Amino acid sequence: MVSVLSNESFEETMMFKAKQEGPPAQEILAQVYTALKQKGYDPINQLVGYLLSGDPVYITSHNNARTLIRRLERYELLEELVKSYLTQLS
Amino acid sequence: MAVVKTVADRKDNLDKILVKGGNPLVGKVTVSGAKNAVLPIIAASILAGSPVQIDDVPNLTDVDTICQVIASLGVAVARDGNTVKVDPAGLDTFEAPHELVSKMRASVVVMGALLARMGKARISHPGGCAIGSRPINWHLKGLEALGAQIRINHGYLEATAASLKGARIYLDFPSVGATENIMMAASMAKGTTIIENSAQEPEIVDLANFINEMGGKVRGAGTNVIRIEGVSHLNGAVHSIIPDRIEAGSYLVAAALTGGDVTVENVIIDHLKPVLAKLRESGVEVIEADTSLRVIRRSELKGIDFKTQVHPGFPTDLQAPMMALTTMARGTSIITETVFENRFMHVEELKRMGANIRIEGRTAIVDGVARLTGAQVKATDLRAGAALLAAALSAEGVTEIENTYHIDRGYENIVEKLQGLGAQISRA
Repeated sequence: MVSVLSNESFEETMMFKAKQEGPPAQEILAQVYTALKQKGYDPINQLVGYLLSGDPVYITSHNNARTLIRRLERYELLEELVKSYLTQLS
Repeated sequence: MAVVKTVADRKDNLDKILVKGGNPLVGKVTVSGAKNAVLPIIAASILAGSPVQIDDVPNLTDVDTICQVIASLGVAVARDGNTVKVDPAGLDTFEAPHELVSKMRASVVVMGALLARMGKARISHPGGCAIGSRPINWHLKGLEALGAQIRINHGYLEATAASLKGARIYLDFPSVGATENIMMAASMAKGTTIIENSAQEPEIVDLANFINEMGGKVRGAGTNVIRIEGVSHLNGAVHSIIPDRIEAGSYLVAAALTGGDVTVENVIIDHLKPVLAKLRESGVEVIEADTSLRVIRRSELKGIDFKTQVHPGFPTDLQAPMMALTTMARGTSIITETVFENRFMHVEELKRMGANIRIEGRTAIVDGVARLTGAQVKATDLRAGAALLAAALSAEGVTEIENTYHIDRGYENIVEKLQGLGAQISRA
């Protein structure tokens, strides 16, 4: 079913949520890696845990790393990692 | 080594809460560290060969109890505000006494760690539970698979193992406590342990992080397969406890029920997704920020249906508070409890306040009413207590809640936090 907006509905105040532009995946990964290292974690273990489970508890809140990682969908992160790995292989 | 003043000492044993309802909650409240994360982490601290520091520890009676349990094993425990320091060097006993285990069922989580460190554990059998049978056999089955011999003797569970060996363990039910006990024992076993159908709760991930910070090798926590490579020695570590998603959810519900406008700070939003979905469905506005949630109710509540499930489903620990919300929602709400078989004890108390609820097996059918009225009620368990508090805050008149020791088991400074949101509430 197609919904049609009436003229009246355009006169009402409407709220739009613009997509937040942020740093690219590579930059976020680098910042998260540094924060995990600084807190003494094994960054590979923590990032793999996050990618597998989706639980942000794997990512330290130090230096805002947990907030940063949530700005990306997990598939975007995985895409970045696989792309980077395959580029190195070829 | 003595544990500093307990919560009970601090509150002078006042066991009633008086609430004058009708004021919308307004303001900001900060969530404390998670009770369900800190208890197994304090138990796991005895795995370390050197001192451990745990930060963001909430002041709760259950935390006092687990500290007393490990202190009774010869471990030095010191508490300073929200930090607990544990020095396990003095660990010399493998028996957790009945008087402590009987106070708190979760004490049984010390069994896996004791077995790993001492090769022996003797724990008073935790027996039945008010909210359901919660069988201990999943814990025991896992420990047996790692090579422990288990006996039940004169009301005590006795586990012995000359050495623990890694194994593949399938849990019949994704029990949080069983997963934690097995993780702790397996972290110092020889070889690799794989737990299939493991619990996936965030508190399991926090425990895995803690074990890894001590030098352990736990992989896959937060999924339904956890792989643990045993190590011969674990070191001390510094760890911060994750925020309590159940406490956060309880404040969100209370704010919505009173028609308030509350910002709940220090939350991990991903842990609250099923709760936020149901709040939005009931007509409440929820605004998400990075580490906080703002709840505003501008209109009438609508009835909702939900079913409790293991994580990442709707948490059973928030079933009672969310039911309180539905008591004043327009229409009929259907709530199904699938995790525990006896978790509707709050229903009779809510009915005393005017709620219209009937139970059919594991389902509660709630017909919303226009108002609740203050009454004398009893907190029958921890989360029932939170439900009654939320209901009391929105009810007309004064509610007197008895047996509030249940509430103090899981909510840090709840009276003070609610007073900060404008609630008329006091202890008596």
